[in-house]
Amino acid sequence: MIRPLLVLAILITVLPLQSSSAEQLLIIANPSVGDIAPLSLKEVAAIYLLRITAWPNGAHIVPVNREIASEVRTDFTAAVLQQDTTSLAAYWNAMHFQGKLPPVVQESELAMLAFVQRVPGAVGYISADTPAVGVKVLGHVD
Amino acid sequence: MTRLIWPIAITLFLASATAHGQTGYQLGHGYDLGPFNFGGYGAVAAYVPDRGSGTISAEDISLFATGHISQLFNPFIEAELTHLDFVHPGSSHSSGDSGSLVLERLYDDMNLTDSFTLRLGKMLAPVGEWNEIHAAPLVLTAVRPAVTYRNFSEYLTGASLLYSNPNGSVPDLQFYWQPDREFSERPSTLTFHTYKMVEGLHVKFPISLLDQIGVSVQHSQDFQGVDQALVGIDFKYTLQKLTLQGEWTYSALSGRTSGLVRKNEWGGYLAASYNFAEEWSAYSWYEEFSNRTSFAAARDLLFGVAYRPDAAIVIKLEYLQNIGGKPVNPTGLFASWSVLF
Repeated sequence: MIRPLLVLAILITVLPLQSSSAEQLLIIANPSVGDIAPLSLKEVAAIYLLRITAWPNGAHIVPVNREIASEVRTDFTAAVLQQDTTSLAAYWNAMHFQGKLPPVVQESELAMLAFVQRVPGAVGYISADTPAVGVKVLGHVD
Repeated sequence: MTRLIWPIAITLFLASATAHGQTGYQLGHGYDLGPFNFGGYGAVAAYVPDRGSGTISAEDISLFATGHISQLFNPFIEAELTHLDFVHPGSSHSSGDSGSLVLERLYDDMNLTDSFTLRLGKMLAPVGEWNEIHAAPLVLTAVRPAVTYRNFSEYLTGASLLYSNPNGSVPDLQFYWQPDREFSERPSTLTFHTYKMVEGLHVKFPISLLDQIGVSVQHSQDFQGVDQALVGIDFKYTLQKLTLQGEWTYSALSGRTSGLVRKNEWGGYLAASYNFAEEWSAYSWYEEFSNRTSFAAARDLLFGVAYRPDAAIVIKLEYLQNIGGKPVNPTGLFASWSVLF
């Protein structure tokens, strides 16, 4: 009897944590973007929809996305962009033809972090569980 | 047949790259190399008319490069090989038309502020949405309604001021002006009129990410001395799985119109498409186009089906029936495969 109770206690303790950490994301940018105020979700959406293409210091913004199957991307898309995947794909393809570059795709949390650390002007998002080392945190998505 | 090899090779390469999910490359988004991005699209089409012989051709093989060097230097170039026939039994050439290599776009974008961009060079004229995103994988049908490319100057060489509100809360605006002839003019086999002056305005009212209403005004003068004043409207509206779109333009013609049968040219199409499965859609459009040199308006009806295994790849099969007037698009069966890479 003790064992099932122990399992239940662990599940009760762990599950809400997993749920909240999966939903919370950090918006990160390369330190080259300079001292700027935290970004609102509307501004982040405008960056990923390619309506804002330059940082206040004039540097080109390089938005970074996770791969399409990623849960983090699903959370980001639902909370920030509020669009369905098919519409976004069609939109970004049309933008590409018009000379605006769609978000670069990185296929893991570490690859995303490394890309944003390395590339001037880059902006991306990571799970709040991942330490945001070597990048600037510009906001969070709850 | 050797001409078929390299489009197939590109396809296999792209399919392989997609299948292996190469990091840094996503089909439809181009390939990044430093501050440049290289992309393009290809379209292979087969056409079987009700009368005459059929063709298989590379309708378009386009390569474009975008650069982001600084706030004031963001160059864009697009070159295109178009109408390259692989099979054309009726052609005087051994294997059909040898295609034309054309410079589609060559410009620099100067980002003046968050909202204003000054574009200098050769660009697509913003008359309707179709002309601006005319790449085969991005548009509804393989056969283009006449109103989306006739009755106005498709290109301009000069200056354009673009306004785009970051939040999309105010309509997008684009003013443009071509003071003289087009740079690197397309060959006469690909154009209907050659313009020596073009000026205009396009206003786009966004409804949602992909839906919009656009209003176009263009004034132009061609080398025959015909002065043309155009007004147009286009729209796209999505209701769940159903998308409606259309465009209508009207031009008043003046100046040297003695060789024309009418002093206006107008046209309009209305299309509906329905996604009946995740990767499949059925569509149809009806168009009337009244050419300046014909007495009766051409009336065309098209039905088609599209298979889209990826957002950047589409296979289309469609049938067009001319139901009146002098045909702009001949009656027949069309099939196309296209990819944005």
